[in-house]
Amino acid sequence: MEYEVNYVIVALFISIGILLPAIALSIGRWLRPHRPLDEKLTTYESGNEPVGIGQIRYNIRYYLFALMFVIFDVEAVFLYPWAVAYRKLGLFALVEMLIFVSLLLIGLLYAWKKKVLQWN
Amino acid sequence: MTNWFEGSLTWGIFAMFAIWVIVLLLIVLGFVTYAIYYERKVIGWMQGRYGPNRVGPFGLLQTVADILKLLMKEDTIPAKADRVLFKLAPVIAFVPSFAVLAVIPYTETLVFANLNVGLLYFAALSSISTIGILLGGWASNNKYALLGGMRSGAQMISYEIPLIISVAGVILMSGSLNLGDIVKAQGNGFWQWNFIPQIIGFSVFIVASIAELNRTPFDLPEAESELVAGYHVEYSGFRFAFFMLAEYVYVYAIASLTTVLFLGGWKPLFPFLDFIPGIIWFIIKFLFVVFCLFWLRATLPRMRIDQLMGLGWKVLLPLSLANLFITAVVMEWFR
Amino acid sequence: MSSITQFFSSSEHVIFFVLALGAISGAVFMITLSKLVHMILSLAVTFLSLAGLYVLLNAEFVAFAQVLIYAGAVTILMMFGIMLTKHEDAEDKAKRPRHRMLLGVSITLLFAVLFLAIQQLSLPAQDALQADNNTEAIGEQLFTLHVIPFELVSLLLTVAFIGSIIVAKKEAE
Repeated sequence: MEYEVNYVIVALFISIGILLPAIALSIGRWLRPHRPLDEKLTTYESGNEPVGIGQIRYNIRYYLFALMFVIFDVEAVFLYPWAVAYRKLGLFALVEMLIFVSLLLIGLLYAWKKKVLQWN
Repeated sequence: MTNWFEGSLTWGIFAMFAIWVIVLLLIVLGFVTYAIYYERKVIGWMQGRYGPNRVGPFGLLQTVADILKLLMKEDTIPAKADRVLFKLAPVIAFVPSFAVLAVIPYTETLVFANLNVGLLYFAALSSISTIGILLGGWASNNKYALLGGMRSGAQMISYEIPLIISVAGVILMSGSLNLGDIVKAQGNGFWQWNFIPQIIGFSVFIVASIAELNRTPFDLPEAESELVAGYHVEYSGFRFAFFMLAEYVYVYAIASLTTVLFLGGWKPLFPFLDFIPGIIWFIIKFLFVVFCLFWLRATLPRMRIDQLMGLGWKVLLPLSLANLFITAVVMEWFR
Repeated sequence: MSSITQFFSSSEHVIFFVLALGAISGAVFMITLSKLVHMILSLAVTFLSLAGLYVLLNAEFVAFAQVLIYAGAVTILMMFGIMLTKHEDAEDKAKRPRHRMLLGVSITLLFAVLFLAIQQLSLPAQDALQADNNTEAIGEQLFTLHVIPFELVSLLLTVAFIGSIIVAKKEAE
């Protein structure tokens, strides 16, 4: 069987994964009650009336974690083909990857020093 | 140019594939139903309680009753919520959790999609679930939900990095991203499985995957005592159920992945035991990993939030990189 | 008309059409939607459709690298970025008719140029790599022929990383 068939199966997994919640939620529509009240539709805030908007701003450190995620994800994308081809590449590739990773580790150390990794 | 539906893939075969995928879906749903029951029983047993024992014999129908209850619950969407995103978020969280199961090889022949980039596929799709959780927290327009969503998101991305780098050692040893080939590179007999040479990678993988699953001791984002319930506080009924389902499907996925990458997949424990079919070995190892996940939950206390991020970036990430280079140097040595 | 039915007789073309439609409509919605979070989500649709197109070209490693980095990481980064900022009121779009007309003309021109260029472009048929050594082939090429760009990437990433920490720290104070 051709290799492409595997992707047909992947597509099947994704579409059945979408269909299940769609079907379950629409069947549920007939079964569940629907009696909206104003009180029910307020957001929960420990029993008080919600104050202000819910979509508040918060600390910038979350953004820095996301940024580190992008950077090390890119690193991982380079690591994977390196690891697969390593047997054919040998010592030179090892040195290359060491340089690559140590540069990124300098960035990580800098973040560490600047207390970005700390949660206070 | 390949014409997929005119070559070997006829509509009949396509329908057969669809039926197989639905069968797997039903198995996974059954697994989730009884994993929840089993988890409650195991933790009850470890804490000297009975656990669920009222609905059906030994409480076996407890989770079924819970699911039916969730189906009958009113579905409230807060008036201030972003309705579209609120409805979309559980689906975005659930779909990748099921889609990653496509690449798991159960035996040498029983594998759904035998992708050559299987491991990358797994890592790539599982990061999409984070988006669903972030959106769920955001769309609820609730401060607790938003904070919980942010914390979950930050935690999941922080532990995803050590997770995907810790498996690079396994890739080095087997020279492939194909999960089937990774199992084939391990031998019959437990001393030939990856978890011994990759013991650092294995430990990092286990810790990071528990954190990625948001399970105890890393369940801070959902800490009932401090954050109400985390990102899904405004969700009720089946929408809530889909967030929970996604979590337990990931338990299934991670337990299978651990089995495949580190515990030799369908390979027997000792070579002379290879008369037992591979699928049985797979199920035994898989259930063992699931049991360990529940065991950890019953044993360990919750971590503190200020320790949480530090562990991922300062300990696990350097360890996983160290593991990678140690593996590479050793491979170079014995070349 | 017959050429259209001929085009859709191949399943590969149908899949291409669906994915291209997803990519383009994601991009269009990205511009037209009014809420920032919705925009990011439609951008993610574009990223995913592009990944599908890469799969169609047998470039599976690139496809899932795309999903991992763009549909996953970059989308999450943008979401954290947006949720961080203040944006309760959607921007009022300034209505400047002359400005808009100029914009419309230049976009049409750009489209015409690109369309003609693509129409006249002829790519020599190359032997497509077999899909089964995709990752390995990338690894071999990257770490023998393209070493310098590879190392420069790490430099770029580190500089971006440190720079953003400096900026963020300044913001926080």
